Amino acid sequence: MDNKILKFSLNGELKEVIVSPSDMLVDVLRDKLNLTGTKKGCGKGECGACTVIMNGEAVNSCLVPAMKAMDAEVETIEGIGSPERLHPLQETFMDLGAIQCGFCTPGMIMSSKALLDKNPNPGKKEVREAISGNICRCTGYVKIEEAVLAASGKYKTKR
Amino acid sequence: MKAYNVVGHSVRRLDALEKATGTGTFASDYSLPGMLYAKVLRSPHAHAKIISIDTSQAEKLPGVKAVATYKNTPRVKFNTSATMTFTVPAMEPVLDQYLFDNVVRYVGDEVAAVAATSEKIAAAALELIKVEYELLPAVFDPLKAMEADAPVIHDGCKEGKNIPGDIVKIPYGDVEKGLAESDVVIDETFKLPVQKQVQMETQAAVARVSNDGKITVWSSTQTPHPSRMILAHVFSVPISKVRVLNPPYVGGGFGVRIGLSAKAEPIAVALAMKAKKPVKLVYDRKEDFIASDTRHAGYVSVKLGAKKDGTFHAMDLKGILNAGAYCSFSCETPGVLGAMGLAVYRIPNQHYYGHSVYTNTTPAGAMRGFGNPQAMFAIESAVDMMAEKLGFDPLQLRLKNIMQAGDPWCLPYPCSSSGLAECMEKGAASIGWERRGSLNRPGAKILRGIGVGVGTHVSNAWPFCVDYDNAYITVQQDGSVLLASGVPDIGTGTSTTLPQLAAEALGVNFDQVSLTFGDTETTPFDIGSHASRTLYAAGTAVVAAANDARKQILAYAGEYLEVAPEKLELNDSIIYVTGQDECDARKVHLKDLAYHAHLRNKQFIGVGRIVPENAPPWHAHFAEVEVNTDTGQVKVAKLTAAHDVGRAVNPVIVEGQIEGGVLQGIGYALSEEIKYNEKGKQLNDSIHKYMLLTAEDVPEVDAIIVEANDRSGPFGAKGVGETGLVPTAGAIANAVYNATGIRFKEIPITEEKMYRALHEKA
Ligand code: FES
Ligand code: FES
Repeated sequence: MDNKILKFSLNGELKEVIVSPSDMLVDVLRDKLNLTGTKKGCGKGECGACTVIMNGEAVNSCLVPAMKAMDAEVETIEGIGSPERLHPLQETFMDLGAIQCGFCTPGMIMSSKALLDKNPNPGKKEVREAISGNICRCTGYVKIEEAVLAASGKYKTKR
Repeated sequence: MKAYNVVGHSVRRLDALEKATGTGTFASDYSLPGMLYAKVLRSPHAHAKIISIDTSQAEKLPGVKAVATYKNTPRVKFNTSATMTFTVPAMEPVLDQYLFDNVVRYVGDEVAAVAATSEKIAAAALELIKVEYELLPAVFDPLKAMEADAPVIHDGCKEGKNIPGDIVKIPYGDVEKGLAESDVVIDETFKLPVQKQVQMETQAAVARVSNDGKITVWSSTQTPHPSRMILAHVFSVPISKVRVLNPPYVGGGFGVRIGLSAKAEPIAVALAMKAKKPVKLVYDRKEDFIASDTRHAGYVSVKLGAKKDGTFHAMDLKGILNAGAYCSFSCETPGVLGAMGLAVYRIPNQHYYGHSVYTNTTPAGAMRGFGNPQAMFAIESAVDMMAEKLGFDPLQLRLKNIMQAGDPWCLPYPCSSSGLAECMEKGAASIGWERRGSLNRPGAKILRGIGVGVGTHVSNAWPFCVDYDNAYITVQQDGSVLLASGVPDIGTGTSTTLPQLAAEALGVNFDQVSLTFGDTETTPFDIGSHASRTLYAAGTAVVAAANDARKQILAYAGEYLEVAPEKLELNDSIIYVTGQDECDARKVHLKDLAYHAHLRNKQFIGVGRIVPENAPPWHAHFAEVEVNTDTGQVKVAKLTAAHDVGRAVNPVIVEGQIEGGVLQGIGYALSEEIKYNEKGKQLNDSIHKYMLLTAEDVPEVDAIIVEANDRSGPFGAKGVGETGLVPTAGAIANAVYNATGIRFKEIPITEEKMYRALHEKA
């Protein structure tokens, strides 16, 4: 039924995938492209678990109709670092105890990365604002905030 | 204190890399070839009889492979929670639900389920199922549900109208006499809200039934072994033919899946049996809200009696909880409420009476703290009221009356350790308790106050529930170590801390230990992640297994080195003579010894089989609040949480447990609540409507670790998983009173309630 071809750049690689007009980006990533790092906690834009970066902005991929990603540049948790070459946020989240169940982690890291990409030296207030749409029920946010602030220090030296 | 190599060190979590890079998988990420997707039809009514159900149109929809209703699924009664697998005789578990029934008892109750080639088709098929209901009268408040004219929700309640299981009574001393002898008595009733776990991963299961009848379920349960027992019961198959596993991570739990993940597993299995294909069922967030267990709402009454000199003399405690539509943990929760409530203070005359009552609301079950936060909001409020009446400083009054190690108490195990006084001293210093009373200038718009709340908890469920544990340690041919424990890691860090215990107890390097966990097929029986038990109880089994393996290693090494085994030590994976100097050649690396043994047909396999004791963790929370008198908003400015955890095996993980619990406690005190409309429909069935705290609401949190080692726990450790939530609401309510002079006997203290109270007062 009216299936369309979606072309976009995913983690720096060109992708073509057949989607139906009612598909949301989160489902295309998870179900069609098997990138399950992006989580789905509500499907309604209320938890931030599905956060990806699209054209430089953190977005809830459960609210993005897949076709809206046409020609866009999309980054997911799988694309920002590898075990050999971790993103500074991945390192500080691991080192400072910012990960418990880990279900919010990819979304948290993507929201934080979008912030640091634009503002490599944010204050506590900016960090809180950037992750205010990401719910974490495990950590109480304390160590997540610390990890983002710590990564911002690393950001400067690493880039 | 002996310095440990691994225990007490905040090693990086072993699950961190997978979770940080997006490759860690959860049940909701899992898929199998040919897999179908399931959707559940839920009752729109709070209480109704199904007169007829017609699924024929749904079955004809292309892509639909199976439809399940009460007509074609097992008529076997069960309980979704693990209570049905661990209730201690002579008590009997309450089995009060079917997979599907022809009576629905709350809005969200399961009516039918469909498996189809896509979630969209399954959802479309639900619309085609025709159900005719006959509405029945419904009741939503536990006190009303006990009244004579209330509808009967389940037959067979022997203790009274709509009361599941047994009424809990804990007598200790003579409470009547004690109250009569008291100079001052505080007599108050407190009202508690419905809180929701809102774990980030909703209930999820992927089921596969092989042609030879074997059932495998990749599940989000926090208790794989008990879940497997429940599934074997529902489908009448041998336990050995069922495998339940986490794949391997679980997106939080907080009690919501002690047992099954609501009904995700059995519905997926029933559909997989019919369709002869694997079936995946993931609850959407709304389903998770309306159709999986909540915390118990209800009423807690406290009669606290004291002598003029401030000595507590009697306490009569009563808890009436809202069970919701099915029993789940509604027999145990009032028990823990009473047992923990009575254990905090030295009071010679006490009594507790408590039970739950069925209503037509979402079932209440386990949530972090399990009755204890309800008890301690009430008790800690009452203690502050007592302090005011007696003219005592609330902190001093508590210090005078708290339980001490060695004191007699009502619990069936000794009060073996307590660091509560230390928690209170350190916490008071952190918050600046001496500033209390001099925080507000007259006419200030923002009123500040400081309050305290304390409490205790368990470190596992024994002897209240069945609780034993097993672990295997298999030394591999190269000296590396495989540890097997049936416990899952729902985010609490067990998959890191159990290997820490194994490495320390065995004497091998931490990086040599690998863990298999959360899988009924690769691990021995374990009761699961609940009751703050995983490190304490599963950890005790791990240490026992390590000791067993070490004994075998040293015995073999003794022969190999020609030294008596008692003279040998194993440390950093090297076996050497105790006190040996550098040039003593009598030593061997475990790697070489294990291979030497292998070539002679021997492997070191340690088995740990334990029944845990129990031990009390203690905690004191101090809250500083700011109340905006214009808007009524209550803001927590700082929360100090001092916790006696016995021993922090991994301090960063312990802090994380405390901080997470604290935030859930702040939510409990100030914003989180599920309300129902007059038809029994949840008004707060989404993350936004439920008012969860976000990063912008976080106060300064000071998590303080106190280590009053308990001889019963591994390396002295006690439970910590639930404790951050226990005394928080009481501390905040007391701080609010200190700020405003308004005593809230009901939480959450929302902006609206505070605004109204301020105006009434003015
Ligand atoms: S899944 Fe997209 S915001 Fe929750
Ligand atoms: S770590 Fe579990 S939700 Fe954030």
